[in-house]
Amino acid sequence: MAEVSLSKVTKNFGAVSIIKGIDLEIADGEFCVFVGPSGCGKSTLLRMVAGLEEISSGALKIGGRDMTQVGPSDRGVAMVFQSYALYPHMTVAENIGFGLRMTGHDKAEIAKRTAAAAKMLQLDALLDRKPGQLSGGQRQRVAIGRAIVRNPDVFLFDEPLSNLDAALRVQMRGEISRLHQDLGATMIYVTHDQVEAMTMADKIVVLSAGQIEQVGSPLELYHRPRNLFVAGFIGSPKMNFLTVAAQPVAGGTEVTLPGGGVLRLPGQIAAAGPMTLGLRPEHAQAGGAGDAVLEGRVKLAEHLGSETLFFVELADGSEIAVKADGLAPERPGDEMRVGVPARACHLFDAAGLALLNGDLTR
Amino acid sequence: MPDTAPSAGFWKRNQLRIAPILFLAPGALMFLIYVLIPIVQSVWISFHDWDGLGAKVWIGLGNYAELLDDDTFYVALKNNLIWLALYLLAIPMGLAAALFLNQSVWGIRLYKSLFFFPFVISQVVVGLMFTWFYAPDFGLFSQAIHWLTGAEVAILADERFVTLGIIAAGLWPQTAYCMILYLTGLNNLNPEQIEAARMDNARGWRLLWHVILPQLAPATFIAMVVTVIGALRSFDLVSIMTAGGPYGSSQVLSYFMYEQALSEYGYRMGYGAAIAVVLFLIMMVFITLFIVRMIAQERNR
Repeated sequence: MAEVSLSKVTKNFGAVSIIKGIDLEIADGEFCVFVGPSGCGKSTLLRMVAGLEEISSGALKIGGRDMTQVGPSDRGVAMVFQSYALYPHMTVAENIGFGLRMTGHDKAEIAKRTAAAAKMLQLDALLDRKPGQLSGGQRQRVAIGRAIVRNPDVFLFDEPLSNLDAALRVQMRGEISRLHQDLGATMIYVTHDQVEAMTMADKIVVLSAGQIEQVGSPLELYHRPRNLFVAGFIGSPKMNFLTVAAQPVAGGTEVTLPGGGVLRLPGQIAAAGPMTLGLRPEHAQAGGAGDAVLEGRVKLAEHLGSETLFFVELADGSEIAVKADGLAPERPGDEMRVGVPARACHLFDAAGLALLNGDLTR
Repeated sequence: MPDTAPSAGFWKRNQLRIAPILFLAPGALMFLIYVLIPIVQSVWISFHDWDGLGAKVWIGLGNYAELLDDDTFYVALKNNLIWLALYLLAIPMGLAAALFLNQSVWGIRLYKSLFFFPFVISQVVVGLMFTWFYAPDFGLFSQAIHWLTGAEVAILADERFVTLGIIAAGLWPQTAYCMILYLTGLNNLNPEQIEAARMDNARGWRLLWHVILPQLAPATFIAMVVTVIGALRSFDLVSIMTAGGPYGSSQVLSYFMYEQALSEYGYRMGYGAAIAVVLFLIMMVFITLFIVRMIAQERNR
C-alpha cells in the first residue's frame, strides 16, 4: 500500500515562502495531478515528495511511513523529469538498469528486469542505442522505463509531455494512463496543461501561489469550482465572468445582468450585493434560448469546423465567449442574442468564493 | 540574367567555392611561415655542423650519433618522462578543486578567482616565488622541513629533489588551468541528471564515477592535451629556477636544446636542431594520439 499523505508541509527559500502549508491525502493507486499556473509551486511540491527539495516544516508519509527526512532513493519513489535527464553516455539498456546497478542487484536480475520494462514500453529494438540517437517520444519512454524498472510504490512525473509535439503528447497521454491501469501504482503528475489534468487524473489538485485552491475529481472541479480561480482555470475556453447585482428573493436568487435582463437562479444566498456571475462558453446559448437574454454584437468568430466560437461584446463593453454549432451563420458585426440557462450559472461573492454552483450533474 | 560585368559574374558563380579559401588563407599562410617551414628548416639544420654565422658543413646523421652518446641527453630525456608522469597529477587535482569550488555560497566568485590566480601570473614569477619558497636559509618550505625533521634541505641544490621541486612549482598554475576547464564542464551538466542519479541511489564517489566524470570527458581530454604538451615543453621554470643545474641534473630537452644552440656554452645550431627534432618526434606521438581520438569522436557524432 502506498498512499501519500502531506500534512502542513511548507517550503521556504530564505525569507521567500514557496509552499504555504499543504494538507493532502493521495490514496493508494490513485492518479493525482498537480495543476496550476507557472510559479504556483507545483513542481516544488513534487520535488519535495521526491526528496530532491527539503521540507521546511510539516510531515510527509508514504505508505504510512514518515519520509520527511529520508533520502530520495530510499522513499520508494521514482521520478520522470521534464528534460528526461537520461545519461547521455549510456545506452538505453544501461540507462534503464542504472538504478538497479546502484542498488547492488546482480547482472542477470538487471538484464531480466530491463528487458521486461523495455518490452512494456516497446523499446526492445532500441536497447543498444544512445539517447542522442532517439526521438523525443522514445527518450520519454526510456525515462519512464528507468522509473518502472525500480518497481516503485509511487511514480512522480514533472511535466513529462511538455517537450513533445501535440500529436505525440496525445499518444503519450494515453500510454501513461494505460501504464497506470497496468501497474496500479500511485502516480503524481505535475502539469500546467488543464487538458492533461482533466483527461488523466482521478484527483486534481489545483494550486496557486503555494496553496491548494481545490482538490477533487475532474468533473467535480468542472461543475463545482469552489472559487473564481478554479472556475477560470478549469475548462477551455475559459469561463465567462459578468459583473452583476444579486439579491435573495423567495425561493431563489434574483440576478440583474448587464443590459438589464433579470435572471432567477435556483438556490439561496444570504445577502444582496454586487457579485460575479460565471457562465461557461459551452452553456451560453447563441440565438437566445434560455432563462434570460444578453444582447450583444459579434466581434470575432472562430470557425473550428465542429463548433464555432463567438466573442460577443455586450452593451456595457464586457466581452463573453459563446460556443455554438459549427454551422452557425453569424458574422463579425452581427447582432447576437445570447441565452443564459439559470441551472448552468455559477455565482461568486465579492471575495471570489462560490455561493451557488451551476452543477449540471445534479 | 541581365547583363553584368564578366568579373562580377565569375564572383557570383564561384562565391561559395572561393569564400572558404579566402577565409582560410591568412591562417594557412601564418601556419606555413611560422610552423611548417621552420620545422623543415630545423630538420635540415640538424644534418649540419653550423655556428649560426659561418658556412654550414654537411655531416649527415653526425649530430644524432653524438646525441646518443651524450649523458646529458639521457638525463634530460629521463627528466622529461618524470615531468610527463607527475604533471598529469594536475588533472585530478584540478578536478578536486573544481568540485570543491562548484557550489553556491557567498563569495564563491572571489574564491574561484583566487584559485585561478596562479594561472594568470607569469611562469617567471611562479619560478621566482618557488625559488624563494625553497631557499635554504629563509624559505618557508625549508623552514618547515627543518622544524618538522630537523634536517636541512636545499631542494634546488639537491640532485635527488631538484626536478620534483620544479615540477611542484609547475603543478601550481597547471592545476588552476585544469580547474577552470572542469568548472566550465561542471557548469554545463544538466542539474536534472544529477537529481535523476540521486533518485537512482548514486551518491558520492559512485555519482562522480558513473554520471559526472563521463560527462566531463571533453574537459578531461582538453586537460590531458594541454598538460602533456605543457610537460614536454617545460622550459621557463627550469630556466628561472636552476638553469638545468645542479650539474645538469634538472635538464629537460627544451632547455638542453636552448643551452646548446643559443646560450653562452656555444652556438651549436646543428646539435640544438637535432635535439629539437627528437623533442618534436616525441610530441608527434602524443599529438597523433589526440588527433586520432578527435577524429573518432567527430565520426561518432
